[in-house]
Amino acid sequence: MSSIAVIRSQVERRIPGALTIYERPAPEAFPTGIPVIDRQTGGIPKGALTQICAPVGITSGRTSLLFSLLAQVTAKEQFCALVDASDCFDPESADAVELCLSRLLWVRCSHHAMKSVEQAFKSADILIQNGGFGVIAIDLGNVDEKLIRKIPLTTWFRFARVMEALPTALVILLPYPAAQSCAALTLNLAGSARWSGTDAASHTRLISNVEFNVEIGRTRTKKPVQSASNNFTVRPQWA
Amino acid sequence: MFGCIHIPDFPVQAALLREPKAIPVALLDGPESLLKVVACNSSARSAGIFTGMTKSQAEICGVTLIKRIQEHEDMAQAELIDAAYNFSPCIEVTSPGTIIIDLNGSERLLGTGKTIAQLILGEVTKRGLESNVSIAANPDTAHYAARGFKGITIIDPQEETKRLSTLPVETLGLESDVLHVLHAWGIRDFKSLAALPSIELTERLGQYGLHLQRLASGAVMRELVPAALPASFQESTELEEPIELLESLAFVLNRLLEQLMECLIDRSLATNHIEIELTLEVHSDRDVNAPVCCSALTTYQRTVKLPVPTQDGKVLLKLAQLDLAAHPPHAPVNKIKIEAIPARIRFTQAGLFQPLAPEPAKLEITMARIRAVVGEADSQNRNLVGFPALLDSYRPDHFQVVPPSVKQGNSAEPSTRLALRRFRPVIPARVEVNAEQAPVWIGFSRWKARVTCASGPWRGGGQWWDAAGEWLREEWDINLTLDGHTALYRIFRDLATRNWFVEGMYD
Repeated sequence: MSSIAVIRSQVERRIPGALTIYERPAPEAFPTGIPVIDRQTGGIPKGALTQICAPVGITSGRTSLLFSLLAQVTAKEQFCALVDASDCFDPESADAVELCLSRLLWVRCSHHAMKSVEQAFKSADILIQNGGFGVIAIDLGNVDEKLIRKIPLTTWFRFARVMEALPTALVILLPYPAAQSCAALTLNLAGSARWSGTDAASHTRLISNVEFNVEIGRTRTKKPVQSASNNFTVRPQWA
Repeated sequence: MFGCIHIPDFPVQAALLREPKAIPVALLDGPESLLKVVACNSSARSAGIFTGMTKSQAEICGVTLIKRIQEHEDMAQAELIDAAYNFSPCIEVTSPGTIIIDLNGSERLLGTGKTIAQLILGEVTKRGLESNVSIAANPDTAHYAARGFKGITIIDPQEETKRLSTLPVETLGLESDVLHVLHAWGIRDFKSLAALPSIELTERLGQYGLHLQRLASGAVMRELVPAALPASFQESTELEEPIELLESLAFVLNRLLEQLMECLIDRSLATNHIEIELTLEVHSDRDVNAPVCCSALTTYQRTVKLPVPTQDGKVLLKLAQLDLAAHPPHAPVNKIKIEAIPARIRFTQAGLFQPLAPEPAKLEITMARIRAVVGEADSQNRNLVGFPALLDSYRPDHFQVVPPSVKQGNSAEPSTRLALRRFRPVIPARVEVNAEQAPVWIGFSRWKARVTCASGPWRGGGQWWDAAGEWLREEWDINLTLDGHTALYRIFRDLATRNWFVEGMYD
């Protein structure tokens, strides 16, 4: 037996596993309910910050994705919180995807003297301190990009650092990837609609389905880092 | 085993609850023109006072005369009940100043009968009342022993007849006609009553006479009549100097809440509803033009509610602090009264595999803290923080935001559908329509775009019977191209005003 093998066996006899490579356990994640995204990313990671980005004013699927995620989490009897900076949450749409509304704490900003972004971050901070939520979502999707650019990078670092120790996923809807490297997962979305009966009269036309394109801008959960682009289709309530 | 606490001259001791008790005192009651002595202590009796004397007769004896106040007796009785609840949850309030305690099973926890009696005596004395305490095998024996003997009396089983024998028959609290008959027979004490032949006694006084004889021999065993729980628990304090700062007020609130929680914990109760009443020192002469200050202005009430009962005073204090910070009283506080509505403790079984959920009491504090940041309610008086709940209505965007509830949610399988992002309030829009009244161009906020595809009109309306609440509109789903991206919007035309609005965006 070579001397290296002897040393190895002696060390392992005294300290079992000292020379074996430690494999970090895969981070826990919540499934979004959209197979394409779950397959590509492994889900929305717990204990980390996830940003879902799309330009203001366009149909991108970020709200559908968020509702689907919240519905999945509340179906497992966990509580979620939604900090709604522009008060745009629609309970009817949420109910249509079977999101359990009695397990969703909704914080509606923008009705107070303080700026809505400031309110949203203060509220999120309080919610993180409280603990006990599966997902805390901050919806800044309708907030002007200029206001988002004013958020100091240290804010994102602080949130990312605080989240590390918690079994909670922090999801932020943004007009652009403002959190940069602080986010464990970045999803960029855009969409296109398909109509049924486009040649007929307006009252016979309907949105039949909407195809969304999701580009995984950044992920820590799947190595090596690579940008991936996939499509998924969402149908409206009436289709 | 039963214990009994008896406060001799209870009305007098109640009147002197926080005063020295050595002074001779007589209590007066009745109409102002004919005040009579209704109770007195032993020093006053030594000075010649007896029950039924008029005020002028009592004044000659040189004792202190005090008018009887029912509130003092209620307060002393509450103290006595509190003391009794420290030893058992099963007590009977036999009469004002007399409480019987069921001590069965307490020996292993508290010690022998004598030790328990000493503990009870110490507890009652600590609360400023002089008492007699007795321990016996049945409640009535304990009761009469406490009424008849001073200090601590321990009566062992089978010794009831012997120990009670010396007590006068008046201790039984008999009606005057029965007492008159017994005196006529020469019956003065329990021993004589117990020695009477039962059959002859029953022939003359009926079953009541037999019952009295069994009481006198200590042979009656009965169930206690449990004391009813109070509908609310109150604590109040009057301040020497009015408090202006909320921080200082919090110290007083903390003390009162701690006392309230102690009372609730003693009775194995909790609370999910407290009412705070602050008496304010309003100076009505500050503004001479203001109308005369009415009494309602001098009290300020706030209510703190929790979704689940709690025994944690700190949680209630924090909620009260946040509530008072959001709604501060408009004048310095002179008196504070806190009332807690009792509720049964909520028992929950924790488990390793229980899903993650915020603690209800902590969640309530969190919501109160967020309310301090975002505000309480919107222009339609809907809460800004809470859990959304849909209302049974066809009106668009008709919902309410409710506090957390313990009810279980739906268990349907989640799905993925196209969601709507609402604009609150709706955005006014300028819309150009074609010959078929379908939108072809739209301008709103900073956007102006051609409608590439439109679906509609979808007409909706309701509440036609109510002019203020009536709504009638035509909805359209439109497809726009904004900055090269697809944008699906829901717009509508209010048919009452013929104006167009953007309701939301499909996202």
